[in-house]
Amino acid sequence: MALNLKIALAGEGGQGVQSVAEILTEAAYHAGYQPLYIPNFGVEQRGGVSVAFVQISEAPVSAPKFTTGDIVVALSHRAVERARQYVGPETLLVFDASLADDVRRVYGEGQKSLAVPALAIAKEGLHPRVFNVIILGVLVGVTGFLERRDVEQALERQFGHKFAQDPSLKELNYRALERGYLLGSERLEVGNRI
Amino acid sequence: MATKPITGEQRAFMTGNEVVAWAALAAGADIMYGYPITPQNEIMHYWTRMAPKYERAFLQTEDEISAGFTTVGGVLAGKRAFTATAGPGNVLMQEAMAMAEMMRLPTVVVVTQRGGPSTATVIYSQQELNLTCFGGNGEGLRIVYSPASHDELFTYVIKAFNSAWKYRFPTFVLGDGYQSKMREPVTLFDPEERGINMEVCRPMVGLPGLPGEERDPAHLRNTYNLEDELYQVLTDSIREYEAMASEVAEWDAWSADEAEVLVIAHGVVSRAARAAVEALRQGGVQAGYFRSITLRPFPVDALRPLASRARHLLVVESAYGQLQRLVQASLYGLETPVSGYLRPGMGITPEEVARAVHSLI
Repeated sequence: MALNLKIALAGEGGQGVQSVAEILTEAAYHAGYQPLYIPNFGVEQRGGVSVAFVQISEAPVSAPKFTTGDIVVALSHRAVERARQYVGPETLLVFDASLADDVRRVYGEGQKSLAVPALAIAKEGLHPRVFNVIILGVLVGVTGFLERRDVEQALERQFGHKFAQDPSLKELNYRALERGYLLGSERLEVGNRI
Repeated sequence: MATKPITGEQRAFMTGNEVVAWAALAAGADIMYGYPITPQNEIMHYWTRMAPKYERAFLQTEDEISAGFTTVGGVLAGKRAFTATAGPGNVLMQEAMAMAEMMRLPTVVVVTQRGGPSTATVIYSQQELNLTCFGGNGEGLRIVYSPASHDELFTYVIKAFNSAWKYRFPTFVLGDGYQSKMREPVTLFDPEERGINMEVCRPMVGLPGLPGEERDPAHLRNTYNLEDELYQVLTDSIREYEAMASEVAEWDAWSADEAEVLVIAHGVVSRAARAAVEALRQGGVQAGYFRSITLRPFPVDALRPLASRARHLLVVESAYGQLQRLVQASLYGLETPVSGYLRPGMGITPEEVARAVHSLI
């Protein structure tokens, strides 16, 4: 069956979910897919739950928002609850491992899910600012439709000017992407299913 | 002489607001007047970033009343001028647009609908249909296009300039916050290379020669002394509007004939409607799809026969019956029942449309 992937990402404003959506769809576009990305935005610049809706397809995407995601990503306490409406029985719920208690409370034990210790990895081995790039890597790994190169090029287009100023930033981002990718690719069944 | 902004066809992945700015550049717009409001802001931002490279101008005004009237002034001076706004800004612009209607001025306004009434949300709705079609103290002698994709945003912004200058009615591109903010692939092109000739824009004021002797006076009026005088002018305008209506009206239909349920939508919601109808057809349900691309003039002649042969009509919109009222007025006298799936200020997904269709059969 042709690729037709729906991903909703929810996190606190400033956690970088919109950047993840932007880089993922940018990479998908350059790899020849027809992505559609729409941010859910409010009047606040920071704070509040920020949601990004991503669809990636081989044919043009229909409506910009959707009822149920194939993958739903929740990155904060409040996002776990906010994302509930986009989660169906078949949805893979990706969440930061620190939110395991919240996820159990809201979704029970039966939800298909993937806990990613992204916050811990970012803090201990890398840098808190690349937390979202780890999540990006997880999504690339889990979905399996993009080459890592596509994503690296999209990162380059997004952050090239910053990488040029500070080359260590590029290396940090690539390492975060790699770490996430390895965590995600162990759970490739989503990519196999679609 | 600045080079053309677009040569050949260029594929891109960008937001709708960016698409609008590119389209206005490609259409040869001379100047944008504007006052910031979400979700329209980036049209101004991209325009101000790109316009100087192509010798185009921008004027930020003190509010939307002024942005509307400076756009009126721009077209009087013979400039291919436009503005963009949303929500409360669209409300303020109605005074100037009523003047454009009275004086038959080819203004172009891009509207990016947000939630209403009042400040409401900065996000999205289809609640500015009434206002954009019929705002102002007049008869709604306007052309209103409702695009549904980035490709259409590009095409209809270019077309809006041409329709405005050809027919001399204020012309609107009625987008919405979703289309403004979402990113999807789009093909940008140079109109001329596609065989689209831009209408020539000529000044209506400051013409050479002595008025009354060397040339006719321009005589541009929005004020009349006698009711008979006004009535004559309006009758002429209405006649011209009705004469061009069949040329300008646009629609799209899919498997719409003899439908069990004919789903009617406009703008971005029509994408959900179309997807739902395709899925329903695959599941053996006789669903059909009709979309009005022009809301003014409304494609009555195309819709009526399809509606008369349908069992049910379902109007789907992110407003509380604004499109439904247009549909019902157009279909007066037909016995086909009309229902609405009406979600003011809320996005609509294909799954919701499919459920609403199922509830009718």
